[in-house]
Amino acid sequence: MADSISSVCNLAVLDKLSDDSINEILESYSGFCAATDTLLTGAGDLSAGQQIVSHVHGLCKHGLESLLRDYFLGALERTFEKNGALKFWRHFEAYDGDGSIEEEVFYNALEEIAMEKQYQEKCLLILVHALQSYNQGSHDSDDYRAQLFAKYQLSVSSVLMATLPRHFPEVLHWYFKGRLEELSTIMGGEFPRDHDEDDGADDMDVDDKCKVSYRSGQMEIDECYPQGRFLDNNKLVNNIGKVVRDLRSLGFTSMAEDAYASAIFLFLKAKVHDLAGDDYRVSFLESIKRWIQAVPLQFLHALLAYLGDTVSYDSASSGFKSPLASCPNTFYPGIDIPSEGLVRWQLRLEYFAYETLQDLRIAKLFEIIVDYPDSSPAIEDLKQCLEYTGQHSKLVESFITALRYRLLTAGASTNDILHQYVSTIKALRTIDPAGVFLESVGEPIRDYLRGRKDTIKCIVTMLTDGTGGNSNVSGNTGDSLLEELNRDEENQENTGLDDDFHTDDKQAWINALRWEPDPVEADPLKGSRNRRKVDILGMIVGIIGSKDQLVNEYRVMLAEKLLNKSDYDIDTEIRTLELLKAKSSMQKCEIMLNDLIDSKRTNSNIKATISQPSQMGTDLGDKGVSMDNFDATIISSNFWPQIQDESLNVPGPVDQLLSDYAKRFNEIKTPRKLLWKKSLGTVKLELQFDDRAVQFMVAPIQAAIIMQFQDQTSWTSKDLAAAIGVPVDILNRRINFWISKGILAESPGADSEDHMFTLMEGMVDTGKNGGNNGSIEDLVVGDEEGESSVASVEDQLRKEMTVYEKFILGMLTNFGSMALDRIHNTLKMFCIADPPYDKTLQQLQSFLSGLVSEEKLELRDGMYVLKK
Amino acid sequence: MAAVNQDNSLVVAGATAPSNSKQSQPRPKTLDSQSVLKRLQSELMALMMSGDSGISAFPEEDNIFCWKGTIIGSKETVFEGTEYRLSLTFPNDYPFKPPKVKFETVLFHPNVDLVGNICLDILQDKWSSAYDVRTILLSIQSLLGEPNISSPLNAQAAQLWSNQEEYRKMVEKLYKVPKPL
Repeated sequence: MADSISSVCNLAVLDKLSDDSINEILESYSGFCAATDTLLTGAGDLSAGQQIVSHVHGLCKHGLESLLRDYFLGALERTFEKNGALKFWRHFEAYDGDGSIEEEVFYNALEEIAMEKQYQEKCLLILVHALQSYNQGSHDSDDYRAQLFAKYQLSVSSVLMATLPRHFPEVLHWYFKGRLEELSTIMGGEFPRDHDEDDGADDMDVDDKCKVSYRSGQMEIDECYPQGRFLDNNKLVNNIGKVVRDLRSLGFTSMAEDAYASAIFLFLKAKVHDLAGDDYRVSFLESIKRWIQAVPLQFLHALLAYLGDTVSYDSASSGFKSPLASCPNTFYPGIDIPSEGLVRWQLRLEYFAYETLQDLRIAKLFEIIVDYPDSSPAIEDLKQCLEYTGQHSKLVESFITALRYRLLTAGASTNDILHQYVSTIKALRTIDPAGVFLESVGEPIRDYLRGRKDTIKCIVTMLTDGTGGNSNVSGNTGDSLLEELNRDEENQENTGLDDDFHTDDKQAWINALRWEPDPVEADPLKGSRNRRKVDILGMIVGIIGSKDQLVNEYRVMLAEKLLNKSDYDIDTEIRTLELLKAKSSMQKCEIMLNDLIDSKRTNSNIKATISQPSQMGTDLGDKGVSMDNFDATIISSNFWPQIQDESLNVPGPVDQLLSDYAKRFNEIKTPRKLLWKKSLGTVKLELQFDDRAVQFMVAPIQAAIIMQFQDQTSWTSKDLAAAIGVPVDILNRRINFWISKGILAESPGADSEDHMFTLMEGMVDTGKNGGNNGSIEDLVVGDEEGESSVASVEDQLRKEMTVYEKFILGMLTNFGSMALDRIHNTLKMFCIADPPYDKTLQQLQSFLSGLVSEEKLELRDGMYVLKK
Repeated sequence: MAAVNQDNSLVVAGATAPSNSKQSQPRPKTLDSQSVLKRLQSELMALMMSGDSGISAFPEEDNIFCWKGTIIGSKETVFEGTEYRLSLTFPNDYPFKPPKVKFETVLFHPNVDLVGNICLDILQDKWSSAYDVRTILLSIQSLLGEPNISSPLNAQAAQLWSNQEEYRKMVEKLYKVPKPL
């Protein structure tokens, strides 16, 4: 009934259908369904195929082709889900996340599902044949078949994907990782031939010696590729290839590829870490590259060859022609012509290896630079990696962080920081000859060092001391850093000169070809290509800010050294000065050295011509001091740094000697007169006791102290201080030397301020000078007590700043409030002290804010006023 | 007994030729401005470094011949805790002529008139080139506490001086804190 009312166009068809034909259709359809179910569930029994063919023909007659096709595919899908997928996944249920799935289980599972799929494909083929035999060429048969199979493939994939357990990619990953390790072991196990029983099987248990050769073995693996092994490998690789192919046919193409790619990358990473690790003394880049050739690429080659090497790469290949073409690879062991896919893999792997090694090295760059120059192979590796990856900025950031965290802390000594700075400069110069990154890395170090008070001193010591300023560093004691740097620079300059003078057209052309632009990461504001030479000395001096400060500090140090000399031997100082002279004007220092040279001449002149009137008459016995034992250093005090002058009463005979000497000097050099700085210099003296004699090299004040005990064996500190003319506190400090030597003993005196010092007559073998009985002790004292005869640069600076402070307070008292630049200008105009006001506006500002924080000044609306 | 046997080497500072003493003979008219400048600069330095409390002076921004001075009244005088601004103008032949010194803030004092002129002998006929800014300021500071009542410029102040309590009240009444320049 319903039919008669429904659409007109179908009426004719329905009318045509007789009851018979309806019955026939129903019969055929139920027959088809039954046959299909039998076919699909019947394990391997294809006998139902015949029935299907007849039913198909029957149904097709009535134009129900699509109906039966859909039913068939649906049945396939249901069966696959039940028989294939669920069973397949059941194999992996045992997997507990640690990769412990059995290889066999994996293979079995794959094989089972592959068989199931094959069987279903056969069934599908039956249907296809049935349809084709009915249609007899009305369809394009191949097309039609492909279409059906594609549909089937899609349904298989979707069933599997829909039921995919979460851990399956992991399973795949573990599988490939395991196989790769196996392969690597086979390849690597080749070389320790002398350990036959172990090789290849389990490298973890191989003893150390074997491991070493195993390691080196890997590096040479490609040189003599063993055919026998290759067969083994082939078997292994074939297995893997089969797995990959099976996985692909199940629709896991990308998942499989991800799995083996990630396994390879992780393996490579582990290899790089294992090989390179914490050893910075060897370059690893080449061995890593060789290892890539030997293991992963072999693996991939075999795999790709097994798979036909086209499936996954065709689509992407066209766009990548050029880089591959430009990079012809010459060496593939056991591979005749590298396929494009393989070359691409090689590039990927090498890039990854470079990047991994680079990251490894960058993370440890701090340690590497500490070890420099021993670690220069690692630096060289890093340089190559960076050239390849171009990730210089990574290096800069990570290194600066490391510096901040590990070096630029209060705990690090200025010396260490400076040495690390120099090493950094040297190391980064290798990586980046243009010095562009150095500029950004060096900046935090320089900024930090500027905040340290002893920086200048350390720099000067480092530059001029033979030990390079670091007493912990043994070796290269002969040369100072300065000399090393100078040599360096000469070399650089020589090559520079070559460029300038011998440039003919050809050379110019070559130079032009060699030109490279600044790295893109370079900040154009900092540094430039023009400054090609990295001037280490310049960068060190740059920390200080001005060369004058360096010169001043050097002058103070030089003065200290010269004043403590008892001979006139200044060869080292002259040499250092010659080197420094190249850098800046050292006029005052030259005069200081000249003073020494003049002193030597004058001294011998005076001693040769003096008549020694007072010496003649007096006894030359116990207390006598002969002019022969006396040398004077005559300095032009205007050119020397400020000298801490302490008054001192030297013993009478010495005083007499001094005035005789001065008189003779005045006679020779009229109108010049000598003003003695009695507290400076050194005295060599010998103390004779009943049982021994001890020699000392001491400061004059210490000599004066001990001389007093010649006549009187015990003194109170007040009396003694008065006798030698120094304040009590200075005496107390200086006398400690003799107490520590066990020559004098200290005991509490009448009141707490006044101590008693007594000469220890007998030998007291205290722990401090134990075992020195009768031996000669020759010590230069002074430095160890922190006493310095020359005012340090900091002292001078502090003194300068006090002057400025008084001026600033003075002007603010009278003008009320002043702005920064007015203070600056006023100081410039009126503060004509020695040295004149020479600070910058910034320096003044920081000084003023210091005064503000000391609550001496206030800053209101940009005006400084006195704090009341 | 210990015998001391010495081998000495001491350091000597060589004094250069005897220094020429400065400005010993008066040459008032021919004195060049350079040496006046130097003298004022060294006076400024000495004043700044002296650290005397309650007195101060400093040249104005661009002219070292014009100074501003500050005097704080000494303790235990009627001027205690008050602060007075002065101006000092140096002549071109300083130090052979005294500087002109005036109070810029109102000061109720027997020897200071209403516009700030000071009657002090060393600033007039008793001037000597041995005085300098520092001694001038110190003299004025002490003049505050010990006025010369016999030759007053301010008769009212001279009269009131005997009554220190009243005088203090007057000082407080007339006192104005100097404004920043």
